[in-house]
Amino acid sequence: MLSMLAKLLKALNSESAPGQIALAFSLALIVALTPLMSVHNALIVLLAFILRINLSAFFLGVAAFSLLAWFIDPYAARLGESLLANPALVDTWQAMYQNDFWRMTAFNHSLVLGGLIIGLLAAVPVFVLSKVLINLYRHRLLAWFNKLKIAQVLKASKFYNLYKSIAE
Amino acid sequence: MKQWIRWSGLAAFIVISLIVAALFLFVAGPLIEKGIETFGSDAADAKVEVDSVSLSLNPLGFVIHGLTVADSRKPMSNVLQLDTATAELELAPLFLGKAIIRDLAVDNLQFNTARTTSGALEKKAAQEETVAEQTAEKENNNSVLKNVELPSADDILARESLRTEHAGNEFQQSYASHKNAVDNALRNVPDDKALSQYEQELKVLTSGSFKSLDDFKARKKKLDELKARFKQDKAAIASARKTLADARSDISDKLKALKAAPGDDLKSIRSKYQLNAGGAANMSALLFGEQAGEWAEKALYWYEKVKPYLAKDEQENAAQETARAPRDGRFVHFPSADPWPGFLLRNAQLTANTASGNLLINAQDITSEPSVLGRPTRILVNGSGLKQVEDMSVDIVLDHRKTPGTDTLTLNIKDWQLRDMNLGVAGAKLASSLVQIQGLAVVSQGKLNAKSDAQFGRAQFRSQGKTTFAKELGLALEKVQQFDVNASASGKITGPDFKLGSDLDKQLNAAFGARLKDKQAELEAKLQAKLDQKLQRYIGDYAGKLGEFNQLEGTLEQRLSKVSQLAGQNLEDYQAQKEREAREKSEREKAEAKAKLDAEKAAAKAEAERKKKEAAEKAKDKLKKLF
Repeated sequence: MLSMLAKLLKALNSESAPGQIALAFSLALIVALTPLMSVHNALIVLLAFILRINLSAFFLGVAAFSLLAWFIDPYAARLGESLLANPALVDTWQAMYQNDFWRMTAFNHSLVLGGLIIGLLAAVPVFVLSKVLINLYRHRLLAWFNKLKIAQVLKASKFYNLYKSIAE
Repeated sequence: MKQWIRWSGLAAFIVISLIVAALFLFVAGPLIEKGIETFGSDAADAKVEVDSVSLSLNPLGFVIHGLTVADSRKPMSNVLQLDTATAELELAPLFLGKAIIRDLAVDNLQFNTARTTSGALEKKAAQEETVAEQTAEKENNNSVLKNVELPSADDILARESLRTEHAGNEFQQSYASHKNAVDNALRNVPDDKALSQYEQELKVLTSGSFKSLDDFKARKKKLDELKARFKQDKAAIASARKTLADARSDISDKLKALKAAPGDDLKSIRSKYQLNAGGAANMSALLFGEQAGEWAEKALYWYEKVKPYLAKDEQENAAQETARAPRDGRFVHFPSADPWPGFLLRNAQLTANTASGNLLINAQDITSEPSVLGRPTRILVNGSGLKQVEDMSVDIVLDHRKTPGTDTLTLNIKDWQLRDMNLGVAGAKLASSLVQIQGLAVVSQGKLNAKSDAQFGRAQFRSQGKTTFAKELGLALEKVQQFDVNASASGKITGPDFKLGSDLDKQLNAAFGARLKDKQAELEAKLQAKLDQKLQRYIGDYAGKLGEFNQLEGTLEQRLSKVSQLAGQNLEDYQAQKEREAREKSEREKAEAKAKLDAEKAAAKAEAERKKKEAAEKAKDKLKKLF
């Protein structure tokens, strides 16, 4: 099972265009700003796997943006609370609440809604900014990433060795 | 476009998801089992054990095998145990971390089953000793009741402080004191001899003519001296009469109190030793109080245990939401026909096997967030298949949608064939009875307000006690065929005040009254006789002396009258006496002259009559001669 997963990761990381890494960060931002165990995050993870983006950058981005989320969450929850209580939107929310699918998305959770709104709004600037930065510092960024401890730990793992042997 | 898509990623995602799902299925069973045992033990305060928990995917849910909940108060028995509990979960709410059980079916639920090992938690061991001591103390108290015996009349009189004795002593002291005062007062009062002497002296002084003016003056002087003595005597008699009146009044009061004392003593003893049927006034509480208390205690015990897990007031939920960190966010709920609270058991069907038969328990809408669900929790217990009960229903409604929440229990038991109910007093048992029970209990804001009425018909009691009290109780209960018991509880849920009332008290009063009538009469007669003896000992010798007091009053009255009469006599004036004597002499002479004149007139009249008669005789003779 591990060898099969390593083969899959090799295929995923075969190409790492700047846009792919930038998109990984954008998606990571959305995941980090909302509660992890939610339906939209499952969809984003699925997207991260299907789209040819850098998964390492995605998981690193989730970890990094989670630190940022610790400061943003109270504001995100407040935003979600105000949106859910907004009289102009209440009918919409009520209509969505009657549907099991929408309720499964936890749209009526203040942090999910607020975090998702902030994440979606910030995703585009983050994508553009990331792409510009990647283009400018492509080589420095990859070198920096390879030096990261987590990358080294991953490389030292049995799983990475297996992945490397398969990749070679 | 192609360079942006990697289909192998989809496969990886599916594989990883399956691995996660497989891991979840693998560990979920043991995790649920551990959770039930840990949280269940905390809730029940005794061991909660589960044989195993298995998950099922179609339908989604889990099955609990072999659940036992030990009784914290009787560790060698289980409060309940079940073979299997099958829960069917709803999938969609699980993605939000909400556990909504559509159906819960329990097989072979049993109560009060025996355990092979102790179900006590370790921390409870020390407390059990205390409970055992309290139980022993309770049994000792009961044994005291069972040995109640009525004391004898002598015992009662010996141990009681009697009013008769107290009043008797007061009476004796009062009599002695007043007798002394009266005797002293009487010493200054003139006796019959002195009064006779006074009469003679007065007669000498007031009779006969004054021989001279000096004679008059001498008599006058002696009379004044006598009058002074009369005055002193009258004062002495008045003083004696007052002393006597005070004595009679005080002694009469004391005597009255003394005569009333045996009655008061008897009354006091009667109430104190409960020789009358009033002793049965609280008998129903004594007979049924312990049983009712146990039932109530058990119900409240479990209510307190279960309550935190059933429903919370909206206020409490709001407080919890507020206490939660703002960064965590919260679910905002909207009106819906199918709300998803954090935990919800939509429907539970339980069939409980008890020694009395099967109970069908149906629970609906058990939730941790009643305000989200919008419906109260409802639990219905139906006992239509019970052996000794024609029909039983318990309707429990836990409504915490608004603050304050209200929990309501309605109980109805129809035709309960009650047998061999140990009443716990003097070996008395309710051998059989047909009982109807209606009850209503409401808990709100931590306060309980409960009331239940039970009608006992065709009652048959049995008493196996050997004491006098037990025998009398048994005989009294024999006469009771039907009675009502009303129980109520109010106050804080942690320590409500229980009240138990019954017309059994009234019936026992009557029955006890009949049974105790003879014994009461016998004992009271003995007490009365002994108290009368005491009374006679105090007043027997004094009755005659009190009569003397009454007689003395009359004597003093006579003497005062006599002295007053004597004191009223005066010596005639010397000049007036002489004038009176002259007047009497003149009148006497006139009377003699008149008498002489009247005699002469009478003689002359007689002579005239005689002559007239002779003339008439002569005339008659002449006439005779003519014819």
